[in-house]
Amino acid sequence: MKLNKLLVSIFTSAAVLISCLGTATAQSQPKIKVLIGNWAAPALSPAFQAFTKETGIEVVAEDLPFRDLLKKIEILGKAEATDVDVIFVDAPLTPSYAERGLLLPLSDRLPNINPEQLWAPAAANSAMWKGKLWAPPLTNSSQVLFYNKELLDKAGIPYPSASLEKRLTWSEVVDNARKVAKPEAGVWGFMFDQVSRYYQLQVLPESLGGGPGLSKDGLSVTGQLTNDGWIKAFTFYSDLFNKWKISPKGVSASETVNLFSSGKVAYFVGLEARTVDFDKSGIKYGIAPHPYFTGGKAATPTNAWHLGVWKNTKYPKEAAELVRFITTNPKIAIQSFEIDGRLPSHKAALKFIDDQPKFANSGKRMAASEAANTGVVRARTPAFLEFEELLNNAMEDIRNGGDPKSVLSETETRITSALRRYR
Amino acid sequence: MSSLLVHRKYKGYLTVFIFLAPAFIGLLAFRAYPVFLALWESMYTATYGGAKAKMIFVGFENYQLLWEDIIFWRSVKATALLTLFINPIQIGLALGLALLLQRSTPLISIIRTLFLLPVGVAIPIATVVWGLMLNPNNGLVNSFLGVFGIPPQPFLTSETQAIWAIIAIASWKGVALWMLFLLAGLQDIPKIYYEAARIDGAKIWDQIRYITLPLLRRSLLFVTVADTAINFVLFVPMFILTQGGPRNSTNVLMFEAYRSGFAFQDYGRSMAIITILTVCILIIIGFQIKFLRPKN
Repeated sequence: MKLNKLLVSIFTSAAVLISCLGTATAQSQPKIKVLIGNWAAPALSPAFQAFTKETGIEVVAEDLPFRDLLKKIEILGKAEATDVDVIFVDAPLTPSYAERGLLLPLSDRLPNINPEQLWAPAAANSAMWKGKLWAPPLTNSSQVLFYNKELLDKAGIPYPSASLEKRLTWSEVVDNARKVAKPEAGVWGFMFDQVSRYYQLQVLPESLGGGPGLSKDGLSVTGQLTNDGWIKAFTFYSDLFNKWKISPKGVSASETVNLFSSGKVAYFVGLEARTVDFDKSGIKYGIAPHPYFTGGKAATPTNAWHLGVWKNTKYPKEAAELVRFITTNPKIAIQSFEIDGRLPSHKAALKFIDDQPKFANSGKRMAASEAANTGVVRARTPAFLEFEELLNNAMEDIRNGGDPKSVLSETETRITSALRRYR
Repeated sequence: MSSLLVHRKYKGYLTVFIFLAPAFIGLLAFRAYPVFLALWESMYTATYGGAKAKMIFVGFENYQLLWEDIIFWRSVKATALLTLFINPIQIGLALGLALLLQRSTPLISIIRTLFLLPVGVAIPIATVVWGLMLNPNNGLVNSFLGVFGIPPQPFLTSETQAIWAIIAIASWKGVALWMLFLLAGLQDIPKIYYEAARIDGAKIWDQIRYITLPLLRRSLLFVTVADTAINFVLFVPMFILTQGGPRNSTNVLMFEAYRSGFAFQDYGRSMAIITILTVCILIIIGFQIKFLRPKN
C-alpha cells in the first residue's frame, strides 16, 4: 500500500513537471513562409538571411515557375490557407488580389511609407489600389533589342544604334530580319522574349495608339481589342510567323532565351535582365532600344514583381515587417540587383545604376531610362487574371494562323462575360 | 423463427457490415461526397466587391449560361471528337497487341516489357518529351518524316493536327496497360475451343470472331469502360502542350473546367462543367455496359 502511494505520487509529480516544461518550450519563434518566383530565389535568399540576422525571425522560401506560382496562389486562396505569410504579387494583379481578399492592406501596418518618394512611378502606381497600399514593389523591368553580331555581319547588315534617339522602327527590323532568316537551316530573323503574352505584346497596339485593351475603369472591353491599333498590331504579329516567316512557331516563352543564346536568332526583343543569360552563353551580342511603329510612339513593357502580406497569415506583424525590410531598404535593393541584374523599383537603387560608370554604356541605363519614360502600365482591373489568360490564348491563336480580327472579336466577347462578375 | 436463429442471422450481417465499413466509408468520403460537393457548388457563384468574395446561390444559372456559351459547345465538340476516336483506336490497338503477343515464343516476355515501358513513364514527363519531338521546326518526328520526303508538319500548332497529336501521345502511353488486361482475358479462354475450331477448318479470322471475341467480352467490357472514363478526363497533354489551343481545338471539357476554376476563379461554372461531364460519362458507360455485358 505504501509502495503504491509512493509510486502514484512520483508519477503525478513527474507528469506535472513534464507538462510545465512542455508549455515552456511550446512558445517558439514565428517562421515566415514566403512564396516567390524561382527566378528571384538567388537574389532574395541573401535578403532573407539579412532579415533573419537582424530580427531573429526565420524565413522559409518556396519558389515556383511563373505559371505555377500564379495557380498556386489561386489554390491557396480558395483553400483559405493559413500556412503562407508573404507572397509574390505580379504587378498588374494587385487590384485583383486586393478585391478578392487575398492580401492584407498595408497602409495602416506600414504607416511611414511614401510610395512616390521610395519607388519608380510605374512601380508605386502598381503598389496601390483605390488609394491604399497593398503590395510594395520589389523589381521593375524593361525591354531592349538584342542583336546577334555574327548573324548581322554575315548578312552585311549594320548594327542598330544604341542611342535612344535613333530607335529602329519595326519595318526596319522586319526588313533586316528577312535578309537573315533561313528557316530551313533553323536560323530565325526575329524573336520575342515572352511570346504570346500580354506583358510583352501590349506595347505593339500601344505604340499605334490602340490603348491597353481595357476601358479606364477596368470593367469594359467592348471595342477595346478591335480598334485600328489592335488590329494593325496583331496583323503585324501574325505576319511575323505566317507571312514573313522570320519567327518560329511552336517555341514557348520559356525556350526563347535559349534560342537566342544558341546563336540562332538575329534580333531578340526581351527583358534587359537577359544579359545575364547571354553573357553566360558566350555569343557576341549588342543592345539597342526597343523598336516602335513609324508614326507611333515609343512604348516598352515595364513593371514586375511586388511583395504582399497574405490575408490569412498567422504572423501579420512579422510578415509586414519582412515586406517593409526588403522593399524599402536601398542596400537590399542594390544587392539584389547586383546578383540577378533585374531592374530595381527602389529610386535609390535606380540612382545607383545611373551613377555607376561601369553601367555607362550598358543596357542597364537604357533600361532604367525606358522604365521611367516609355514604360506602359498594364490594364488595371480586378479581372486581370481572366483578361490576361484570354488575351494570351488569343495571341497564341493568332500566332498559329488565326485571323486577328475574328480572334480578337471573339476574345472581347469572352472577356466581357468574365467581367460581369466584377460590376 | 427462434430468437437464437434471428440473433445468428443478424450477427452474420453485422460481421459483414463491419468488414465492409472501412471501404464503404472511404467510398463515401472520397467518391460520393466530392460528387455532391461539386453539384452543390455548381449552384453558387462568386461576387466580388469589398475585401472578400461572397458566394451567392444562383440555382441553375451556371448551367443556363453554359447552354448559351459558344465556348462551352466548342468544348463539347472537342470532347466528343476526342472520345469518338481515341477509344476505338486505343482498344483496337490493345486488342491487336494482345492477340499478337499471346503466343509464348522465346523472347515474348522481353517484347511485352518493351511495350509496357511507356506505362511506367510519368505522363507529364512523357508529354514534355513528346512535345519536344513534335516541334514543328526541328523536332525529331519532322526530321524522321523528312527522310521519306514528307514536308514538316505543324502538329501541335495546327488547329486540325493538335488533337491527333494528343491522341497519339496518350495512346503511346496507355495502350500497353489495356493490352495486359486483354492478355489475361485471352489466356482464360480454354485452348480446346481453338483446337476444335482448327479441326473443323476455321481460319484465324473466324476463330477470332466466333471464339475469342465472345469469350473476351468481360475483359473487353472492363477495358472499354475504364478507358472511356479515363479519356473523358484526359488533361495533362492539354495543360502542358496546347493550353486548349490552337483555336480551342483541344479545349476539352476537363480543361475548360480547370480553366474556369483556376484561371477565371469561376468555381460555379467549373463545377457545373464537371457535373455535366460526370453525367455524360455515366450515360455513355451505361450504354457500354448494356451492349457489351456478357449474355449468361
